[in-house]
Amino acid sequence: MTQTGTAPIHETDTAESLATPWNVIVHNDPINLMSYVTMVFQRVFGFARTKAEQHMMEVHQKGRSIVWTGEREQAEHYVHQLHGYQLTATMEKVEV
Amino acid sequence: MNQIHLKICAVDEKHVRISAIPPLLAYALRELPHILEKRDSPEVHARLFPAPTEKDLQMNADWKEFTTPELRHLFISAGETVAQDLAGMEPEAEGANLWHIEFLANHVDAWMSAVNQARLILGELHSVTDSDMERKDLDFNNPKDRAILIIHALAWLLEELIRFGDGEDSLPSA
Repeated sequence: MTQTGTAPIHETDTAESLATPWNVIVHNDPINLMSYVTMVFQRVFGFARTKAEQHMMEVHQKGRSIVWTGEREQAEHYVHQLHGYQLTATMEKVEV
Repeated sequence: MNQIHLKICAVDEKHVRISAIPPLLAYALRELPHILEKRDSPEVHARLFPAPTEKDLQMNADWKEFTTPELRHLFISAGETVAQDLAGMEPEAEGANLWHIEFLANHVDAWMSAVNQARLILGELHSVTDSDMERKDLDFNNPKDRAILIIHALAWLLEELIRFGDGEDSLPSA
């Protein structure tokens, strides 16, 4: 495989900080239905039903599930959407 | 309760009908607008309008300022839509103990939102736990038990709405 002559990019500390990924976490509660949580995951993240059910079961059994990881702005968008569906969702920086 | 065949189906391309609504669910639906009025109660507010982080107080404060009003508007709007639709709930026949209701198909998401809001509000107001949700000895005359019964009745409806949204039972009812 041929490599191109492009020089490597050295990110600054600030850029690295901005690029730090965030986790979106959904927390369990006694009221929300399993079928409802599954539906929300399918709608918000476009998950296939099987993947949505896996995350739903993780929420149900372990109390929380990391449902998405990525840039902060998108994480905020997802948390906002999940709150719109009345799920308890938070976001946190990925521990490096 | 589940022996009664609550049914949600498309009447035509634009309308949905919920039929065979039993007395407890009809009661829960009549109560729904009153339950939703409690969304700003102190016990409920943190559940419906949660903070986005567990530790970042500044981010939580900014979130509360910028996103909570929009969320609140969304919830109120869904509740108002459903409250208007509920005015059309009627008995299946004169003297019948079952009810039906028709509304616009594009209101289904508002129904899911309002029904789920009401369940969560009751859950917070009455500190309902996982074990409460498993109880079978519920007494309608006890306020907390009555709230749990309503939560269950609305869960049944929500399940059917989800199923309808998935495309099941979506054929017009001839």
